[in-house]
Amino acid sequence: MKLSLLTFRFVPGMLICTAFGATSLHAQQAASTTPMDLVLKNATVMTASHGTIERGSVWVHAGKIAEVGTSVNAPASAVVVDATGKWLTPGIIDPHSHSALSNDVNEATSPVTPSMMMIDAFDNRDKALYQALAGGVTTELLLHGSANMIGGQAVVIKNKFGMSRDAMLFPNAPGSIKFASGENPKRVYGSRNQLPSTRMGNFEVMRQSFEEAKSYMASWDAYNAKVAKKDTTAVAPKKDLKLEALADVLRGKLYVQIHCYRADEFLTEEAIAHEYGYKIRAFHHALEMYKVAGQIAPEGTAIATFTDWWGFKDEAWDAIPWNAVMSMRKGVRVALKSDSNDHIRRLNQEAGKMVHYGGATEDEAIRMVTQNPAWIIGVDDRVGSIDVGKDADLVIWNVDPLSTYARAEKVYIDGDLFFDSSVPGFGTPHFSGAMHDGGGFGSDDSDEDGE
Amino acid sequence: MMHSSKSASLFLLPAVVLSGALAYAQGNDLARTSPKQSGTLVISGGKLLTVSHGTIDNGVLIVVDGKITAVGAAGKVEVPKDATVVDARGLTVYPGLIDPDTTLGLTEVAADQNSNDLSEPSDEIMPHMHVADAFHAETELIPVARLNGVTNAVVAPGTEDSVAGQDIFIQLAGRNRDAMILGRDVALAMNYGADQRRRGSRGNGGRGEYPSTRMGLITQLRQSLLDAQHYEVSRDAAAKKPDKPAVASADKAADNSADKSDKPFQRDLKLEALLPYLHGERPVVVGVYEAYDVESIMKVAQEFHLKVILNHVTHTQEILDEIAAWKVPVIVGPIYDFPAANERYDAVYTLPAELQKRGVKIAISSSEAGGPGGAHTVRNLPYSAGFAVAYGLPYDEALKAITLNVAEMFGFGDKLGSLDAGKTANIVLANGDPLDVRTDVKQVYIEGVAQPMVSRQTILRDEYSK
Repeated sequence: MKLSLLTFRFVPGMLICTAFGATSLHAQQAASTTPMDLVLKNATVMTASHGTIERGSVWVHAGKIAEVGTSVNAPASAVVVDATGKWLTPGIIDPHSHSALSNDVNEATSPVTPSMMMIDAFDNRDKALYQALAGGVTTELLLHGSANMIGGQAVVIKNKFGMSRDAMLFPNAPGSIKFASGENPKRVYGSRNQLPSTRMGNFEVMRQSFEEAKSYMASWDAYNAKVAKKDTTAVAPKKDLKLEALADVLRGKLYVQIHCYRADEFLTEEAIAHEYGYKIRAFHHALEMYKVAGQIAPEGTAIATFTDWWGFKDEAWDAIPWNAVMSMRKGVRVALKSDSNDHIRRLNQEAGKMVHYGGATEDEAIRMVTQNPAWIIGVDDRVGSIDVGKDADLVIWNVDPLSTYARAEKVYIDGDLFFDSSVPGFGTPHFSGAMHDGGGFGSDDSDEDGE
Repeated sequence: MMHSSKSASLFLLPAVVLSGALAYAQGNDLARTSPKQSGTLVISGGKLLTVSHGTIDNGVLIVVDGKITAVGAAGKVEVPKDATVVDARGLTVYPGLIDPDTTLGLTEVAADQNSNDLSEPSDEIMPHMHVADAFHAETELIPVARLNGVTNAVVAPGTEDSVAGQDIFIQLAGRNRDAMILGRDVALAMNYGADQRRRGSRGNGGRGEYPSTRMGLITQLRQSLLDAQHYEVSRDAAAKKPDKPAVASADKAADNSADKSDKPFQRDLKLEALLPYLHGERPVVVGVYEAYDVESIMKVAQEFHLKVILNHVTHTQEILDEIAAWKVPVIVGPIYDFPAANERYDAVYTLPAELQKRGVKIAISSSEAGGPGGAHTVRNLPYSAGFAVAYGLPYDEALKAITLNVAEMFGFGDKLGSLDAGKTANIVLANGDPLDVRTDVKQVYIEGVAQPMVSRQTILRDEYSK
């Protein structure tokens, strides 16, 4: 099969074709030079935004969802995938991942490193990405680690494994900055006998940083005022990457994502945010949110939490698996996240646990891994639910995705097929032709041993 | 706590929960205690997953003094007159789950070293470490695990050592350690692979000391087993000398100091600990990941006729037939482990199915890759088994892999792991499929005693729900 990369839209599908022979679907795609229309029909469609449609269909036009319903008016030329007996959901969205960051997640040489850009560490060939893709994950917020009070700026990706680095970046996604508090910065800097080694120290470092940012902004304001008055003697202050980033927080240009476990810290973080006039988009981990959810809900801060991890450190000792649903019932927007190359492969199952712990409805549970994380990332107008106009990021599951038995069978991103469990060989590293050893996992010891 | 009325139903269970919570709050920790059941308990109308003999849709199960005395279809089992009857209509009834690989009671807060007694890494060969000596019966982790239907577990030391120590088999209820440990030294925990070379391994705090390679590890292990064999011969020879007791007092030792050969024999606890395993009396559980490591360690095990249970075997796709040919049982876990660089994304997920297909007796553990693991995630044991089903393991085999198979591997097959007359009444009632994450466990019985469905976490939940 000879295909031209330049004229054919379905690049990943083509990778499948060339490497392993075409399936019928791919053959159909390949047959058309303008495969603009795709219909996934007769599935149990969990829309995340407006309930579940039994025997529903989704029409995808030019990578966007064109119609959703019990029947759709797609053109006869559309590629049709019969999903009878299957489930269809929006792509799973992970609002807290450290995948594919070349083990460079922490610039742990100073507690305040807001100018660090996660994108500079992004390794688009990391095998953790296709493993997550095989679990139905289509969008990830790749965050810094939690060594620093202010870590740096995140990157948002679409999980288009096999495509170029730039092609994997979520177009025009808003920027996020990661803060951390609690035991991690305490441990990292405390062990070096350096500020901060206590929670008091943690928050002092935060405040000090914003004081510097404020005076930096003031010096620019003064300069700009002079320029406005045509003062030719005005000298521009030096651009400072660190303070620019903090100024962007104060200007509201960056979403603030905070690694934070304890109830008292949520309250302190909100107090500091009020003090300096910025909003906190989400608390990540947030294992004690159930204790203060009533106070946090009016702030509009969401949480991205573990379902049932606990006891791995002191600040996780009061973690309970009912946290997510209890917090949701008190009005906090709740997302589930992986923070792990392991969990990211089955976030759907983690959502299922919410039915068990706290009695979430299936709708509520599925939203915790689609629409709500999309909001935390700031891309909920484009992904996270099956609605007309949204990106066609879709997953076909063999059974109810909230059950233990669910496997993602097909994963589409922008209407393109990126994972197909029926294709032999997908998911093996040689599949992309570009896999390499040592990427991704902290648990992979082959680097360290020099073998 | 029991209701004598014949029509008592699970609607009354909240009373059990409430009284449990109250007692807990008062410091009388009901969550951990289990006074012996007396009288007769009838669990009637549920869907019984017997594990040993299929599913009984409308079943009756009779428990007398902590033991199951009858199991069968409604109408076919005679229900005693003065029994406490639990209406289990609409519920699934199954034997308590057994986790084959935990560190319950050896850790509390994972990051807090003072609360950890996981391994003694001062030497690689530590068979004389007894988990029973460190087991913390009052751990808050046990009620948490129990609430999802886990009633028994193997507790093994951490994995730094080649020979890490001897495991215990526990019941997740009891007033104290002695009530909870059903078996001391039930197996010897061994490990082989990259991690145990810590003394020499680069970048791992290694000191460049022996053993720094896999060759060193195997040689060290083989020498230790030979030492133990020699030790046994010497010990037995010493015992045969009529005037030389096997263990002499210090005084006697001083008396005999003139003659070297007359020195009293001194026991070596380390070598002696290896003897039951060299005799094949009890199993060794060998944690090993890579195919070539499995082959290496099995060579040693066969040389010394060890009774092996393999653990993990995560990256063994190429030697599954070989593993089957050895006729050794295998514990699979973490089932969520990562594939190796050259493996498919689902290589580990399908491992239980692939082994079972080849006739290997499998158990599944709860441990998680990259998570807090080992103890805090024991409550997820049923979901690990369910995940194996998603990737091809027949349902009944999955259930067996967390019940009967585990009991049999560790010598408790006659007491636990299935709903059969004569077995201990460790029974779980849930509102659905036990392997599904959405299912709620409604009641756990251990030795016929309804356990309070309370943990530190439910107390926090209830406190902050007010």
